[in-house]
Amino acid sequence: MNPQSLPVRLRNFVLALGMALAFVYLFLPMLTNSVGVLHRMSLYLADNGIDPTRYYYTDVEQVKEGENYLYEVLKQR
Amino acid sequence: MAQDSNVVIDHGKSQWSDLWKKEDYLAIWLGFIIIAVCILAYTSFGPKDEFAAKIQAANEIQAAEAAKAPFKTIAWYKAQDDKGKLRGSSTPFGKFAAHWTKKPGAWTSNPLDALMQSEEQAKAKNEKAMPKYEEAKGKAEAALTAAVAAEEAAAGAMFKDTALNEDASAKIKAWRDANKAAGDAKKKTENKAFNLIPSLIGLCVFLALAFGVGIAMMGKNMMEFVQGFTMVFLVAVLAYVLGGQAISKQYGFGAEAWGVVLGMLIANTVGTPKWVLPSCQVEFFIKTGLVLLGAEVLFNKIVAIGIPGIFVAWVVTPIVIVVTYAFGQTILKMPSRTLNIVISADMSVCGTSAAIATAAACRAKKEELTLSIGLSLVFTAIMMIAMPAFIKAVGMPEVLGGAWMGGTIDSTGAVAAAGAFLGQKAMYVAATIKMIQNVMIGVTAFCVALYWVTKVEATETGHTVGAGEIWHRFPKFVLGFIAASIMFSILDQGMGKDLGDAVMEHGIVRGGTRLLRDWFFALSFAAIGLSTNFRELAKYFKGGKPVILYVCGQSFNLALTLAMAYVMFYVVFPEITAKI
Repeated sequence: MNPQSLPVRLRNFVLALGMALAFVYLFLPMLTNSVGVLHRMSLYLADNGIDPTRYYYTDVEQVKEGENYLYEVLKQR
Repeated sequence: MAQDSNVVIDHGKSQWSDLWKKEDYLAIWLGFIIIAVCILAYTSFGPKDEFAAKIQAANEIQAAEAAKAPFKTIAWYKAQDDKGKLRGSSTPFGKFAAHWTKKPGAWTSNPLDALMQSEEQAKAKNEKAMPKYEEAKGKAEAALTAAVAAEEAAAGAMFKDTALNEDASAKIKAWRDANKAAGDAKKKTENKAFNLIPSLIGLCVFLALAFGVGIAMMGKNMMEFVQGFTMVFLVAVLAYVLGGQAISKQYGFGAEAWGVVLGMLIANTVGTPKWVLPSCQVEFFIKTGLVLLGAEVLFNKIVAIGIPGIFVAWVVTPIVIVVTYAFGQTILKMPSRTLNIVISADMSVCGTSAAIATAAACRAKKEELTLSIGLSLVFTAIMMIAMPAFIKAVGMPEVLGGAWMGGTIDSTGAVAAAGAFLGQKAMYVAATIKMIQNVMIGVTAFCVALYWVTKVEATETGHTVGAGEIWHRFPKFVLGFIAASIMFSILDQGMGKDLGDAVMEHGIVRGGTRLLRDWFFALSFAAIGLSTNFRELAKYFKGGKPVILYVCGQSFNLALTLAMAYVMFYVVFPEITAKI
């Protein structure tokens, strides 16, 4: 049983969520914009539709491209 | 039988009724019902025969062109493109499945863009992207004209003039690159209006009923599950929205991470409402998702880059898992064996997906899974940026750098991102090595499950485990996962590459099983967050041992993978590297 009152719990929730959102949506964009290599990376990923959050190979279009490329170049003719 | 709700799997004495009452079997049933529907929709009732005929026609053109010229001609590539356009997901069933399982999309400044887009917004986006497309299209047309002229010149010399052949080959390659750039630019001019709210409501109802029936069969209260499921689903949707933001994605902070974070924030501040807890069926969601993931674990993929790839991905990886686990047990004296093996597998195989599979196979606690995935996300973000920078700085060759990153960075998306930074070849090698390594999760889950029931649990209970007991204890969903993997590997091999791509990968998997697998894992992450206690999580982090284990294991992984990649690609098989 949580001993804290509802207003306190709600305040904690808003503060914690606010901090998480601020980190991801304020701090990280600021970091990206102020560091050249990160900014270039951001533009590159957006232009090429690469999503670093995808964890399995079937989620990533570039894996198929790579597989097809290697299939073609390694195939004996 | 009483169950430990904090454990990722349950087990008990085997009875026939387990087949329709136990979570493991129900996960297999649900997974295989989805798989069966998708297979039927894309084969017996689908376009398989039509695709096979078109592929046959394209293959005939390619064979004729290959006999005619010593290089791949324009007609050869056009036939290849025709084969590439054959996709099961573009059939009515594929469109239906995609519509009703669509996830919130990407956005930059307004989170609502992830859920809906008006005609005006779509039109504005298309108009913005149009100049770039027009430019790319113009370049592709010019490159094609040059390629046609060069090929005609080579044909005029009966393809016997080496200089003309080389010129034609180079111009055709330039056209292919320009054509790809135009294709990528075109995709950005095809935005359409959408509103995901109705389909999300429909999906919520479908998933609540599908899992609800399973819950009822387990003897639990279906109505309680359905009632709380709305909240779990809502957290998963919000996680997709928050994880869809461009910068958040760039650092690898996607829907999975947001699902756990949002859930934990709710659980540890306002508290997860009691009526939601019966719906936090982490194990059921994960096991069903893993059975569906089995359809994507295709063993024939491991030869994609020849023997060097097998050595880098399939020899190094098991060594790293075993050494990291042994290091954790003997040197670091990790108190939790399950946390030790989950971090070892997560770090050496393929991050999140390996962590989920291993955690379920060894009955790891939810907090242990959360901790492993958190570590993986942080280190993946660092390695994704640092590795290409280091490789460029020391002037390492692209193929070696790609193989190194593919074998060491955890998540596949991050591998592609890091590889792309080095160059196209590096990206192709990195992504392919990662794909081969991804296939290892089936073997890893099976071996870990077997080791746990025969060795670890036997040691803990202090008595030898017989064959019957092994069967009682073995997490049965792993068998469903392996069965799906073997079945799809055989199907894929039987269809051949082109038909396999069109019907299996772009039909059954991408147009069916994967759509729901994504949601099942998203639900499990939301449920993990909603039922995780910060204090419990902190206990596992005590002394920083998980971080030390990850850092030491990853350092060993980096050294061994680099050494193996160098030996395989530059000493033993330099001819393969030369072709790439």
